[in-house]
Amino acid sequence: MLVSVAWVREMCPCDATAGRIAEILTSRGLTVDTVIGDPSSAEAVLDVDVPANRPDCLGHRGIARELSAATGVPLARVPSPPAPAGGPVDQAVSVEIAAPEHCARYTARLVRGVRVGPSPPWVVRRLEDCGLRALDNVVDASNLVMLALGHPVHFFDLARLRGPRVIVRAARPGELLTTLDAVERKLDAADLVIADADRPLALAGVMGGADSEISIDTRDVLIEAAWFDPVTVRRTARRHGLHTDASHRFERGCDPEAPLAAQDLACRLLADLAGGVPAPGVLDVHPSPRRPRSLSLRMSRIARLLGYDPGASATESALSALALAPRRIDHDRFEVDVPSYRVDLETEADLVEEVARHIGYDQVPARVPAPTGSPASGTTHPLEERCRDLLAHAGFLEMFSYAMVAVGEDDPFVPPGTRAPLKLTNPIAEPLTCLRRSILPGPIAAAGLNARRAARSQRLFEVGRVFLPGENPGEFPEEVLRAGAVWGGPVRTPHWSEPHPPAVGFADLAGLVERALRGMVPGVDWTVRPHALPGLHPGRTAAWFGEHGDPLAWGGCLHPDLRARLEFADDLWLCEIDLDALARSTGASTAQTALPRVPAVVRDLSVVLAPDASFADLTATLERVPAPAPATFDAVDRYEGPPLGAGEAALTVRVCLQPLERSLEEDAIEGYRRGLIDALSSSGLGRLRA
Amino acid sequence: MREELARIELDFDRDLAEAAGDPDKVEALRVRVLGRRGTLTALMKGLGALPAEQRRDAGRWVNDLKQRVEERLAGAADLAARAARAAELRVGALDVTLPCRLPEVGSLHPVTHARRDLERIFLEMGYSVERGPEVEDDFHNFQALNLPPDHPARDAADTFYLEGGLLLRTHTSPVQIRTMTTRRPPIRMVCPGRVYRRDWDATHLPMFHQLEALVVDEHISIADLKGTMEAVWSRFFKTKITTRLRPGYFPFVEPGCEYDVSCPRCGGGGCRVCKQSGWLELGGAGMVHPAVFEACGVDPERWTGFAFGLGIDRIAMTRFGIEDLRLLMEGDARFLRQFPV
Repeated sequence: MLVSVAWVREMCPCDATAGRIAEILTSRGLTVDTVIGDPSSAEAVLDVDVPANRPDCLGHRGIARELSAATGVPLARVPSPPAPAGGPVDQAVSVEIAAPEHCARYTARLVRGVRVGPSPPWVVRRLEDCGLRALDNVVDASNLVMLALGHPVHFFDLARLRGPRVIVRAARPGELLTTLDAVERKLDAADLVIADADRPLALAGVMGGADSEISIDTRDVLIEAAWFDPVTVRRTARRHGLHTDASHRFERGCDPEAPLAAQDLACRLLADLAGGVPAPGVLDVHPSPRRPRSLSLRMSRIARLLGYDPGASATESALSALALAPRRIDHDRFEVDVPSYRVDLETEADLVEEVARHIGYDQVPARVPAPTGSPASGTTHPLEERCRDLLAHAGFLEMFSYAMVAVGEDDPFVPPGTRAPLKLTNPIAEPLTCLRRSILPGPIAAAGLNARRAARSQRLFEVGRVFLPGENPGEFPEEVLRAGAVWGGPVRTPHWSEPHPPAVGFADLAGLVERALRGMVPGVDWTVRPHALPGLHPGRTAAWFGEHGDPLAWGGCLHPDLRARLEFADDLWLCEIDLDALARSTGASTAQTALPRVPAVVRDLSVVLAPDASFADLTATLERVPAPAPATFDAVDRYEGPPLGAGEAALTVRVCLQPLERSLEEDAIEGYRRGLIDALSSSGLGRLRA
Repeated sequence: MREELARIELDFDRDLAEAAGDPDKVEALRVRVLGRRGTLTALMKGLGALPAEQRRDAGRWVNDLKQRVEERLAGAADLAARAARAAELRVGALDVTLPCRLPEVGSLHPVTHARRDLERIFLEMGYSVERGPEVEDDFHNFQALNLPPDHPARDAADTFYLEGGLLLRTHTSPVQIRTMTTRRPPIRMVCPGRVYRRDWDATHLPMFHQLEALVVDEHISIADLKGTMEAVWSRFFKTKITTRLRPGYFPFVEPGCEYDVSCPRCGGGGCRVCKQSGWLELGGAGMVHPAVFEACGVDPERWTGFAFGLGIDRIAMTRFGIEDLRLLMEGDARFLRQFPV
């Protein structure tokens, strides 16, 4: 809220400069964001950040009260209303509250004989200081009342009221009202309106209607000063997409005792600015008057919450300065009366804050609480940080991306048939519309950005959650922790010793995945199988299936169509690791195995693999051949091309026999080798290379 | 005899001087003198033919000479070998000023660095690290935190809502609720995590990172809050930090405050980092509101607690001197590479 220092100093005649007042207010929880103008003068304007619980400070009077509490300078008297004349208000108009649950009080006064015209310069200036534009003397008077007291008032042109009567009632469903902003609004039964005998005139506490608006011809003004239920006003304002100065105040809670003071000030201003004369009497319909609120405050509680005892006399003077009328009940206890404008003071803790705020938090000492016996273990993910370290140590750069993606952006990276993503009802931008089900879109987008910025090599990763929707709407999604990496360009950073390293390939990606899996869960086992995802090259993709049959990780080469669409010059390799699935894996013992005492026997087998036969198929076949010692198989060379047939591959398989105790006899080795060759030829997977 | 020995020695010394530095020539000289047909070998063979009385002296002279020759040969051979190795080593010296080949080293996001430092400090102080869902319900994100439906302070939250009624958490405070409803006090916990607000401009991102600390025990006060913050921030910034509390409003704390720390760069004198104010605004804090305790089934008469929060992104920016918030989310490798693991 913009606060005119000059106006506040009229209300609390202290001699503090604007800068000093800004300091005082900030130290009391009314943070002054900026001082507009010369801080050493009394003319500046303060931009005050009024917290949502202090609607009493949404007017200059409330700011002045804080200043008075801080400085001890008493508040100035409010100007008295002008003398009334003419027929009393209750003969001219009647007021009825038909919805008392939404309107606890409605007051009305009548001012006759106004002359609508421009406001004097001081009014224009004051309104402008406070961020409002001057319109005419009558409208300006209503704004001045709101800015002075923080209590909105509304003016009706009496001549436009049918009846003439005012009824505060719920709107009839479908009823129409054209508001002051010239929008015709269809009302809802939950809207509260001010109506006359025939039709709605205003959205209560939010905005007036065009029909009863003050015009150049207005002579008699009916002043409304009321108290509307905060929730009702808030809901109506939201429903109609209106946030007005009035609704802002009513929905935070206005002072139920303020309407009469607002009436007095409005009459004074209409008389001074527009020559109006108030009619005798006030219509004050007050179905549920506010009950005075008393609270008790224990000194022991203050000491317990603040960590020190400010003493009874300092407490008492703080409470007095804040107009809380403290009474000492016993050695520990005060009782206070909460002024009607302090809607925020509801509990003892609120009073402790008032005392602390007034005395100053700088009085509070500092100490560190002693630790408890044994700290709790916490609920962090067991693999999250380890995964970050592994990928970073593998040369990848950690990045962050939004958990929200554009509609369809993650489709290429989830299995077809995956439930549709959770959608935001109020996205902030089209690219951030629904919650990701794969972590890959973010790293891919970042790789695109880096490629456009001329980076040759892409090595990025992100660790974060993806959101898998449940079966039913409104159900919590499953939040799964995933790691995703993108890798493109040369496999190693080019260097003068190796200016042209080979490009990243599937084996590099698989190496990254497997190193990460074993690095997180030592000894974890898996099966690698091709694994199609729409966004990946169908012949260059795989998944690592864990012991429970669910994939621990998957990845491959970005599909050429997608690569073209995203304008990547080189192949981009991607992988996604499911850290939750991995955390459910048990891994294996990491105990050391005894070193063999005899040398291993190594034999190479040159094989031509048939089309579609895989290395895994081959080793599965070879593993079934009874071996004279534990055997392992490795691929040491691979070749495709002439003179081999299409789809065939020449593969050199290195067989390593590692006896544990005794060296192997040559006969046994040769017999095993023949067994391997026989198994190969009867499997149909390939043939021995000539 | 003696004359002949003297001549042999003279010739040997001359030849050795000539051969110096060349291991092959030294070896050839050795063969000429001490080899099977070497000059000295021949003399030694001839000793047997001398009369017995001459033989003793002659043998001594020859042996002395042989010993001297052997010593000089060994020394020369050693010298020559060293010279040859030195010549060898002069070839193929490397240009050590060429750029080295670094192992591929990656990096961690600056927010990860800052978060880990903070977590470590809290873990050392006996806190647990907790996490909770990023998709939350109204109860945990608002109602249990003393923000009933239609509370005006909900406006400040700029909430993203999901179809079906859930929402993206606007702060990490719901983790406090989840912890207090599942664990009895005393509690010392921090909850770092991603939070979401519908706000996107030069100084706000729709997703950012918060960390909140919560301590609940029988005698916790604002003094503990102040001391804890000073301890944490002094360790984080590795310099003595003082804190300043200003009254502030957060519905889930009462008394509530905003807190500033003395600028870690200038120590309070005023600099670019603190915009000449000497202070950095870091976040909100306060004593847990009795209504929050009640929502979690914790007796507010027996237990008191403090909580404070901070934006990890801002802390990381302060620590690393990052001025443009957008860099944090862009994924530019040139930026990310500056924070090696």
